[in-house]
Amino acid sequence: MRIEVKDLKYVYSPKSPFEKVALDGISFTVNSGDTLGIVGSTGSGKSTLCRHLNALVKLQSGEITVGDIRLNSKRVDLKQLRKNVGMLFQFPEYQLFADTVKKDVEFGPLNFGFSQAEAEEAAKRALELVGLDFDEVASKSPFELSGGQMRRVAIAGVLASRPSVLVLDEPTAGLDPVGKREILELVTALKSGVTDTVIIISHNMDEIAEFCNRVIVLDDGKLIADTTPDELFNRSDIVDRTELDYPHTVKIKRLLAAKGVDLDTPALNAKELTSAILRRVKG
Amino acid sequence: MKDISLGQFYPADSFTHKMDPRAKLVLVIAFIVMAFLAKNFLSYFAVLICVVSATLVSRIPIMKVLKSIKAIIFILVFTGILNLLFYNGETVLWQWWRIKISVEGIIFSVKMVLRLVLLVMGTTLLTYTTTPTAITDGMESLMKPLKYIKVPVHDIAVIMSIALRFIPIISEEVDKIMMAQKARGAAFDNGGLLKRAKALLPVLIPLFVSAFRRAEELALALDARCYNATPNRTRYKVMKFTWRDLVGLLGTAAFIVLVVALNNNFWGAYASPASVWWLFSV
Repeated sequence: MRIEVKDLKYVYSPKSPFEKVALDGISFTVNSGDTLGIVGSTGSGKSTLCRHLNALVKLQSGEITVGDIRLNSKRVDLKQLRKNVGMLFQFPEYQLFADTVKKDVEFGPLNFGFSQAEAEEAAKRALELVGLDFDEVASKSPFELSGGQMRRVAIAGVLASRPSVLVLDEPTAGLDPVGKREILELVTALKSGVTDTVIIISHNMDEIAEFCNRVIVLDDGKLIADTTPDELFNRSDIVDRTELDYPHTVKIKRLLAAKGVDLDTPALNAKELTSAILRRVKG
Repeated sequence: MKDISLGQFYPADSFTHKMDPRAKLVLVIAFIVMAFLAKNFLSYFAVLICVVSATLVSRIPIMKVLKSIKAIIFILVFTGILNLLFYNGETVLWQWWRIKISVEGIIFSVKMVLRLVLLVMGTTLLTYTTTPTAITDGMESLMKPLKYIKVPVHDIAVIMSIALRFIPIISEEVDKIMMAQKARGAAFDNGGLLKRAKALLPVLIPLFVSAFRRAEELALALDARCYNATPNRTRYKVMKFTWRDLVGLLGTAAFIVLVVALNNNFWGAYASPASVWWLFSV
């Protein structure tokens, strides 16, 4: 689903001593099929920007269009908008509330007008998608589960409503390396289904490099770059200014280049880099 | 959201902001006494002057102080009407069953409302000019004598500051959880009372779970840092009684004397014209 943001501006506590400009003149477009990374240092406005996308914060000035819903029009169909745009917050496991996993996952679909049977079916599919056994966990209390399982249940709770756009706010924070991979691979797998557009906020450049085809950089509420990961990591002025890091693949490529081994492919994920190095060794 | 994180604190660089929190606490108590001492309209007027001048000295917009009255508007109306209808006055204007409106009743209820308004205006000045942490520090220091009768003053102060510290954290958490549930299609602002209360469950349950989790983590963290291992901790911000506090105390004392003097018509020190005399008498 196509998303257009035009000249978005947002100020916290306007006209008070605590006034703070969170977003300043942000414009960008996300095309259907994109996996967009949003990066920037803490407090640069990433979360505030994402919360605009399903009208969790009120639009102050600017224009946002999600699919064919215009957020500045007088009557926005919030239900439809929020069904289309699924949002996964940081540490989503802290939002579980129901007495069974099944009820928690069904919460979204039921709110969006699914029938009980449809909701149950959706919950089942979503739980299996995140790699949990429906029959095993469905009747358990979400608070009995381990941390990693709780996060999966929370993700299933968002996926169950079958959003076309999925917004993930640091989805892998606080997970171990295996958990991180699993979550991101899940997101990639999703893209072959209903969810065609994914937006990821992350501090982990390895993830951005590997999973995103586009990336925007926020700095102090301003959009300072709208580019591809490959190009971004070639522009040290931006990376250094916003105190971002380089992904490991880029670091390795630079170390190789310093030794006189230039690899000419972007090779932003581990697999591509390995095969590029192998080609070079053999070739 | 930011408004909650510092209580009502209104940052400014003023005389009152720089005062010692202990002095401000004492002054607020003195002010409350003053407001209760006031008997006639002239002494009320003196209390009003005191509040207004304190506000000016604190460089806080007067509208901001007046806004604090909005919070107690219900109490004001309630006490005003009750006193108006049930005051046992002599000059009865209108009576029905046990309800009677008298001249004395009108005067009394106006005074009651006025007193409440002045009390709120004066006490909010404290919270406008002093951060919650400074207030707790001041209280701890003022309660020190209680240590000798084995009151755990320091613990009470720590409990207070933890409670204050957690108000913004929890309110932020409420915000976050509400957003997360809204993103899953929850609606909090339609339906009847029962439906709305039920809609809050998906917010309250995670909130309680996380409050307990935080409490446990905090207890562990306090333990890990040897809480209460040393009896006399030093402070980063040492409170000092300065000339400002002396000025404040003298000023307030002068107002209290003025109020008492006005209450008693200056003990008949001079004759006043009849019209002014009426103001003294009511």
